[in-house]
Amino acid sequence: MNLTYFLFFICIIVCTLIITYWAAKRSTTTNRFYTTAGSLTGFQNGMAIAGDFISAASFLGIVGTIAINGYDGFLYSIGFLVSYLVVLFLIAEPVHHLGKYSLGDVVCSRFPGIEMRWMMAIGTFMISIFYMIPQLVASGFLLRLLLDIDYSISVAVIGGLMTVYVVFGGMVATSWVQIVKTIVLMSGTFLLSLIVFSHFNWSMTDFMQRVQEGTPLGEQFFQPGHLFGNPLEFLSLQLALVLGTAGLPHILIRLFTVRNSLEVRRSLMSATWIIGLFYIMTLVLGLGTVAILGYHTLIGADATGNLAAPLLAREVGGDFLLAFISAIAFTTIVAVVAGLVISATTAFSHDIYHHILKKGKSTEKEQLVAARWTALGIGLISTLFALRLETINVTFLVSMTFVVAASSIFPVLLLTIYWKRFNKIGAITGMLSGLLASVTLLLLGPNIMNVDGGWIQREAVIPLYNPGIIAIPLGFLGAMIGTLAARKEKKDNAEFREFFKRAQTGSGRESA
Amino acid sequence: MDDKISLIMQEKKRFLLPMLIFLLVFYFMLPLSLAFFPEAMGRMSIIPGLSWGWLYTFLQIPMTWLLGWMYHQKSKKFDRELEEIRRKGLQ
Repeated sequence: MNLTYFLFFICIIVCTLIITYWAAKRSTTTNRFYTTAGSLTGFQNGMAIAGDFISAASFLGIVGTIAINGYDGFLYSIGFLVSYLVVLFLIAEPVHHLGKYSLGDVVCSRFPGIEMRWMMAIGTFMISIFYMIPQLVASGFLLRLLLDIDYSISVAVIGGLMTVYVVFGGMVATSWVQIVKTIVLMSGTFLLSLIVFSHFNWSMTDFMQRVQEGTPLGEQFFQPGHLFGNPLEFLSLQLALVLGTAGLPHILIRLFTVRNSLEVRRSLMSATWIIGLFYIMTLVLGLGTVAILGYHTLIGADATGNLAAPLLAREVGGDFLLAFISAIAFTTIVAVVAGLVISATTAFSHDIYHHILKKGKSTEKEQLVAARWTALGIGLISTLFALRLETINVTFLVSMTFVVAASSIFPVLLLTIYWKRFNKIGAITGMLSGLLASVTLLLLGPNIMNVDGGWIQREAVIPLYNPGIIAIPLGFLGAMIGTLAARKEKKDNAEFREFFKRAQTGSGRESA
Repeated sequence: MDDKISLIMQEKKRFLLPMLIFLLVFYFMLPLSLAFFPEAMGRMSIIPGLSWGWLYTFLQIPMTWLLGWMYHQKSKKFDRELEEIRRKGLQ
């Protein structure tokens, strides 16, 4: 590793640690630790949401996928973007009005009780951890590829950093690390896009011509059908992507960090602008890689195409730009995993420790101590897992997160907020059926059961890599059957009307 | 007071439902049209150099921004009305 790389990395580590130190002095109450006490502005939170959402898989993976598959690679990112409208229209404001720190708070504001809290805490915890471990594993590979650092050292450094941010700085540090990440990521990709355009003297025709020369697909590169052959598979993936975000706890808990519903909407609108512009730039970078480097150079370096952006940076800007882009990728990873640590921490220390074990009676100080210890524990355990799981196929765990979120947390939240007759049993059966269905379908699918190279060397029972199209309806169905089966007496509508009013306007919360 | 709030919520529903349906139709028509009319989607669109498939995909991005903005504008109005009701309630 040469000096340029080293300086860039030290700079990022030092900057984020300064943020953490500053945040630690401000994280003195649980309200600040879990939600920054609502102190972020909508735009700041929008940047943090983008920072929480755009993983290294989006940054490096999508650029590579576009470079290899052309049109279909770009389609992938559209689902991620549109999913934010589902959050904005249906979930965001009610979640903000009903919850305090966690998604457990949201559902328990309608169906109080220990069982309900357990379900929400387990769902949140599972999704956050299952998303975090592949991110850590991928980061280990990434740093090894980029900087030639040992896998275990990379994982330990990133795991250590994310733990430090959350243990000391809580949500305040996490938010600001994510904001900084969004700024460097956006400016870095913007800079690289400009360099790519200037490479072709700003001529689109020239650029597109070179893209066609660079790819073995030729003109076909711009046609659909290279990545998603099976329409059902494709539709299923799009369904999970577009509904998944509305069930991702680490994104939804960010809605507690602003003051009111105006700022909630501003957060999500800023996030859609940032994410939309980002995906347009990834398209430029993906096409630029094919045009400037060519398909064979890219595949020669790494068959997955994940190195597209870094290789492009080196080609057009030398070692310095490569170091810069690698540093951005590094920041991208730490910001995402820190967001996942805080979401898993909240589920454990707020829902399980405070509400279930201590029955809501622990003091402010006890809660804060518990939260910090939990963050430390989660950070350490996930890092250890990531160190041991070097050999697993991580891509399927990432897509699994969206399927699991869309078929468990999303149906329960949606029905809790909008369905008058929904009841506690329905919420519990909905969570259970969504979780079980999505996990079982993934286990029976070709990610695990595969004749060549699967964990189970057999023909897959369910031939879908993305079982969203079956799992999501099953989640809803479970919730409905549970509700109808458990309905004993006819409850009067007044209670739900009151709840609905509170969800939509926040009226009860402000008077309390 | 409660009646007024219910009225606002009904109006919100009437506004949101068509937007939501439009969003889902507009979005899911993309994968469906690619699956069922791949040839038409590959043909040149009204914009030179851009096929219908690309045009439709690109349109999803401004669509997201536009719908988000429309929702935000309308919600501001609801927020103002609710604030009004709350103030009157306090008096």
